[in-house]
Amino acid sequence: MSTLHDIALVDGSVDVSATFAEAAAALSASRLAALAVVDEGRVVGLFTDEELLLGISPRYLDELRHTAFLETELPSLRERARDVREEPVRKHMRRPITIELEGSSMHAAERFVHCDEGALPVVDDHDRFVGMLSRTEFAHALLKRLSEGA
Amino acid sequence: MAAVAVVVFLGALGAIAFEWAHRTKIALLGAAVVVLVGILEEEQAIEAVDWSTLGLLVGMMIIVGLTERTGVFTYLALRVAQLSRGHTVRLIFLLSGVTGLLSAFLDNLTAILLVVPITLLLADLLRISPIPLVLVEVLASNIGGTATLIGDPPNIMIGTARPELSFLDFIVNLAPVAIFTLLVVTSGLALFYRRQLRIEPERAMEVERLDAAADMREAPYVKRSLAVLLGTIVGFFLHAPLHLEPAVVALVGATVMLLVAADDVEDALERVEWATIFFFIGLFVMVGGLEEQGVIDRVAEGFADLTGGSRSLEALVILWGSAAGSAVVDNIPFTAAMIPVVDSLQADGFDDAAWWALALGACFGGNATIIAAAANVAASGVLERSGKPISFLGFLRVGLPVTAVSLLIATLYLLIFQL
Repeated sequence: MSTLHDIALVDGSVDVSATFAEAAAALSASRLAALAVVDEGRVVGLFTDEELLLGISPRYLDELRHTAFLETELPSLRERARDVREEPVRKHMRRPITIELEGSSMHAAERFVHCDEGALPVVDDHDRFVGMLSRTEFAHALLKRLSEGA
Repeated sequence: MAAVAVVVFLGALGAIAFEWAHRTKIALLGAAVVVLVGILEEEQAIEAVDWSTLGLLVGMMIIVGLTERTGVFTYLALRVAQLSRGHTVRLIFLLSGVTGLLSAFLDNLTAILLVVPITLLLADLLRISPIPLVLVEVLASNIGGTATLIGDPPNIMIGTARPELSFLDFIVNLAPVAIFTLLVVTSGLALFYRRQLRIEPERAMEVERLDAAADMREAPYVKRSLAVLLGTIVGFFLHAPLHLEPAVVALVGATVMLLVAADDVEDALERVEWATIFFFIGLFVMVGGLEEQGVIDRVAEGFADLTGGSRSLEALVILWGSAAGSAVVDNIPFTAAMIPVVDSLQADGFDDAAWWALALGACFGGNATIIAAAANVAASGVLERSGKPISFLGFLRVGLPVTAVSLLIATLYLLIFQL
């Protein structure tokens, strides 16, 4: 199985000094499910659509399992969205899982199968950020490669 | 070797109280040391574990975990808010009553994990601070849990350690005093918080308009899950005449629940809080080490000397001592260590009053500090993750007076009805 060199990567990253609002805008513009949070070229965290959703939701949402009865917007939703805007993205990032550019596609596939993130950062031999790989793009590229080879 | 056993146990209690690591890690490390240094042989360590307590806990965790999916607990909490119609005092009494009832028949830790998240949402909808409501629930859960054999971990341990005490015995001897204490404490809390929690009428109307049963209509196996839960509770009432241990009732209930209301057994078993189960295992092994090395007997002898053999004094020292011990450490390890002490004191004959004193002391003592009971720790964890943390002193300010009042009531109860 070959490496990831022929699969298109996207430059989906934000600097670690960015605010939550800047990271949210960058995530939306990238059309990816996650962005790499980068400090001097190294991936220090991941900002995913889940962090975005949890960031703008009341913090207890994560503890709730039943909300079908809710018909209106929660009062705290607006306050929370307002408060969170200027918070640093580093407060809202998760520990990164990375894929090596020189690693096999099968290893990348295993990573994607076992993690929740819809996109993962790809790093080079020196652990420097190269680009984001979306799970969907990766799966399509793999399918295409296998069909062409068949 | 006895000194090593004491150092291991007290070291573990200190480490748990100061939260140096997760309590399960500490308890398992203590148990490992007990076996590795030879305080207990491997076989003795396995025998020291009270498998009935673990069976009861696992069974109830499966039953309640699968019932939680039905949304019935969310329904109850919402109905409480709706029935309060914006009256703070009524809201406090209803929340306290429902939490106390759920604690008595599910267990207080589970009850807290079920009601606190929905309370945060309710407080948000009503635009009031959730902290007083959560405090009321925590205090009510520890008092309500006192009422039954399955309501609070100390009672589970006492009930399984002494088969002479049935589920019904717990209810007959503890439920009346628990209900009375809950009423007194809730009245005090309602007086204390009624000015802090002002609900605007239009917010109360918004909550009244909500369709409380919406989640139950979407959920799978609602009727089956509730039938199994209720059947299990009936089973607890009948366990003595049926000659079944409470653990067997809970495990049979859990098995029926898995058969009729769980599509995926692995998913269902994930609802067991394995960290709690392993915490108990570590604890039982450490206490087994204390017993084997004669430490428990020596403590019991010292205790008997202190009370001069007076039955009343003995029960009252157990009551207040257990409450103080639970407040400082955690009522689960404290009760685990106290059960063999009380057992040892009863060499001349079984006396249930001492057991009720231990149950009341450990359960009511669980309200004194934020670390005194598993339910308190769980609630403060939820509050912290929700961005509304409560400090140790903030809890103490309410918890300590509540505990003092509860213990005074328990003292009078023991003196008038049990001694």
